[in-house]
Amino acid sequence: MREATMTTSEMSTVIRRRDRVAVIDLVGDVNARAEDSLDTAWAEATREGPDAVILNFEGAGYINSTGIALIVGLLARARARTIPILAYGLTPHYREIFEITRLADFLAINPDEDSAVRGAERSST
Amino acid sequence: MDGMDDRTVENTREKQVAARDATYWAKAVSRLNVSNVPEGAINLNVTGKRLAGPIQGFGKMWQKTYQVSLPRERVSPMDLIATWKQRFPDFWPEGNSFYAPLTGIEPGEVALLNMTLPGKMKLSTGVMVLYADEESFTLMTPQGHMFAGWITFSATEVDGQTVAQAQVLMRASDPIFELGLTLGGHRQEDRFWNQTLTAVADHFGEFAEVDTQVVCVDKRRQWSRWSNVWHSSAIRSTGYMMGAPVRALRGLTRRSRMAG
Repeated sequence: MREATMTTSEMSTVIRRRDRVAVIDLVGDVNARAEDSLDTAWAEATREGPDAVILNFEGAGYINSTGIALIVGLLARARARTIPILAYGLTPHYREIFEITRLADFLAINPDEDSAVRGAERSST
Repeated sequence: MDGMDDRTVENTREKQVAARDATYWAKAVSRLNVSNVPEGAINLNVTGKRLAGPIQGFGKMWQKTYQVSLPRERVSPMDLIATWKQRFPDFWPEGNSFYAPLTGIEPGEVALLNMTLPGKMKLSTGVMVLYADEESFTLMTPQGHMFAGWITFSATEVDGQTVAQAQVLMRASDPIFELGLTLGGHRQEDRFWNQTLTAVADHFGEFAEVDTQVVCVDKRRQWSRWSNVWHSSAIRSTGYMMGAPVRALRGLTRRSRMAG
């Protein structure tokens, strides 16, 4: 039987397009080591001036407070370019964290990708 | 059988992740509450306030990083953070008081701050411990604090050195604090955290230069947030100080009535 060990995993990202909306899949732990990966993903996702960016947390592991700060940084950059950001795939725990940190005030949290895309389309019209 | 083992491993991992999440992060709170006020502390501008992150502030958004390096053989990152948590108030510059919660720096606990601003102005506010693990902890500000944001204290090992770091992510809460930051407040804040990190290094017997990096994350001011001034701890603290003679007089009158 394999052991269940608690390991931290480097974050990787995948950028997908759904029409005029960019989706960033976050895979792994969102912490200080995720900064470069997140920066690169953001640059790639916004290169073509999307109507909105969706963050997919389904593959995200542990998020610490530095990771939350990185997401705030993305929000600031998005607001500077008036690009709406949405999110989906958060566990109930991280939904609560987004409420405590009041990220949820500015980041629409959706239950799944389709509803996030619909939300993105609504916010861009 | 392998499938069963995989499920068991996955379930165990999920349980461990859930336990870690619950241990390190504060629970949801709608309004802050200070259960025990340490002796000598002024509990003002904290109870009943909501937390305010960098998104809820008024001014430009800044990320400020202060770092100091210590030899790894002198202290490990985990030991440094344990000491920093335990002796947090001792490392603060003189004239400012951090009244740590009785239970220490633990997620969800609220600490009171009594600070001295330029012009000898006294300011009372607080912070909540948003996050705390073995290698970092984060304090988040309530409405009315000078800054809307959070500050993360961490330690990591880099090239045989233990690097202690304080990283602030914040906006000035309201137009008055924004003006204050522009008129020397940034310099004062930089000095504050430089002194703090110097004190941390000094505790471990090292004199080390503090490296400061400042990045403006968002140059725009959020004018829709000008009304945050209603919660201003500076205005409310000043009002509280000005009301001190009246409160003292009322106390005297009450006592003399009871005696009579």
